[in-house]
Amino acid sequence: MTRDAVKAYIAATFGDQMTLLETGRYDPFYRIEPGNLLTLCQKLRDDDRLKFDYLCNLGGTDTGTNFEVVYSLASIAQNHRLDFKFSLPYEGAEVESVQTIWPGANWFEREMWELYGINIRNHGNLKRFLLPDDWNQGHPMRKNWNAPDFIRLPEILA
Amino acid sequence: MSGLRTEEFLVNMGPHHPATHGVCRLLLTMDGERVLHIEPYIGYLHRSIEKICENRTYAQCIPILDRFEYITAMSCNYTFALAVEKLAGIVPPERAEYLRVIMLELNRISSHLLWYGSIALDLGAITPFLYGFRERELIMDLFEMTCGQRLTFNYIRVGGVSRDIPAEFVPKCREAIATITEKMSDYEGLLNENPIWMARLKGVGVLTSEMAIAYGVSGPSLRGSGVKYDLRKNDPYSIYDRFDFDIPTGQNGDSYDRYIVRLKEIKQSLKIITQALDGLPAGDFKAKVPGVFKPAAGEVYSRIENSRGELGVYVLSDGTTKPVRVKTRGGSYNQLQVLPEIGKGLLIADIVAIMASLDIIMPEVDR
Repeated sequence: MTRDAVKAYIAATFGDQMTLLETGRYDPFYRIEPGNLLTLCQKLRDDDRLKFDYLCNLGGTDTGTNFEVVYSLASIAQNHRLDFKFSLPYEGAEVESVQTIWPGANWFEREMWELYGINIRNHGNLKRFLLPDDWNQGHPMRKNWNAPDFIRLPEILA
Repeated sequence: MSGLRTEEFLVNMGPHHPATHGVCRLLLTMDGERVLHIEPYIGYLHRSIEKICENRTYAQCIPILDRFEYITAMSCNYTFALAVEKLAGIVPPERAEYLRVIMLELNRISSHLLWYGSIALDLGAITPFLYGFRERELIMDLFEMTCGQRLTFNYIRVGGVSRDIPAEFVPKCREAIATITEKMSDYEGLLNENPIWMARLKGVGVLTSEMAIAYGVSGPSLRGSGVKYDLRKNDPYSIYDRFDFDIPTGQNGDSYDRYIVRLKEIKQSLKIITQALDGLPAGDFKAKVPGVFKPAAGEVYSRIENSRGELGVYVLSDGTTKPVRVKTRGGSYNQLQVLPEIGKGLLIADIVAIMASLDIIMPEVDR
């Protein structure tokens, strides 16, 4: 489907659950409610006209005021694409795993948990993998995590 | 033999294993010679490129993203430039688009030639490695002539390319195309029908099309499973819709099909470059982009077809000089995820073959 056809179809079918965002460029970009995530994803994948069978990308964002989780979907069968996102508060941020719908989400969610500290419900394998095993300095992708351009070497190395 | 105690044992493959193409550790649970379970441990090359980009201006992000997937740094430059152009509504001039296509396709060939050498090396054949590197050198020379770099180019910029090609580029490029076209029969003759090669790859690591799509596998690895999906045709970017080329696919989804698809892709890329050189228009190579560049607030996920699959980047802009968020996605990330699924029950030597045929490189996984 073309981009306009996807927009029209979503507005007609999922209009009550997905709001088109003005900030999205190029492909359709929606905002959803985090509570609807699993049922909506299931519908998007199984809908005959939409058939979003492919998860391109999944990642967290720290906007400075709250977290956002962005999902980028594509349909190989129908050849179209869309993105959607939702906001989460800093305190107790938690999302449902979408691995039952797209198994490839596993590492994307694991990465989000590790780098942002957003908890993933029903993930099954939340283990550190990008950061060192003995890492104890929090979640580096958060905006309040200071990333200095210059670091003083320890005395022993200087 | 009754009463002989047997037990499962663990084998650490890597991190510094030549067949893991970077530093990746696979923890293998073995039952004798059979692999029961694979657990990849990644992160040895994690540089947090995404966080670094958040502290840089848009122009400064491009050389950082060169390091994201350095075998095809042109694609990394391009996918970010494409995202920012979509955000800011910049239309690059014709000549820039042609130059970009030429560079992207040259980079795809050089990446596939490197892969051709390394898969053969992993499986115990040294000659293809020398062949692949010999022709790759011709392409590296072209890049060096154009932007002074052989690996991290910083060539494709927001709005165009950093500089025009020198006068001798076009004849040299045609020479390189002629040489590689001629040598293709050598590559195929050396391995395609080779009994050892076929025994090592045929039927090894079968990836069904359903599994490939579910796990987000992309690029030649997806097409090896028979899914005809190439972003250059299916979600056309730049000026790819103007060129005539085919999308090679496999049927069985085994390592051999992935190998064949990649070799055929080199030929298609040669075809595209020839057409682009023929049609190369005169004119500007860069659109006017202000020195203090502030794209309008907005967000976009842009994706292109890289030699390893879908190379995507999500950029969130708040209207200032620096992006709020840059999330990168490389093909290897998903290909490595599917390895434990398709490698179960095989031998360690097969794991090496599968990993090489999926064309995984670690900087793209770890970022």
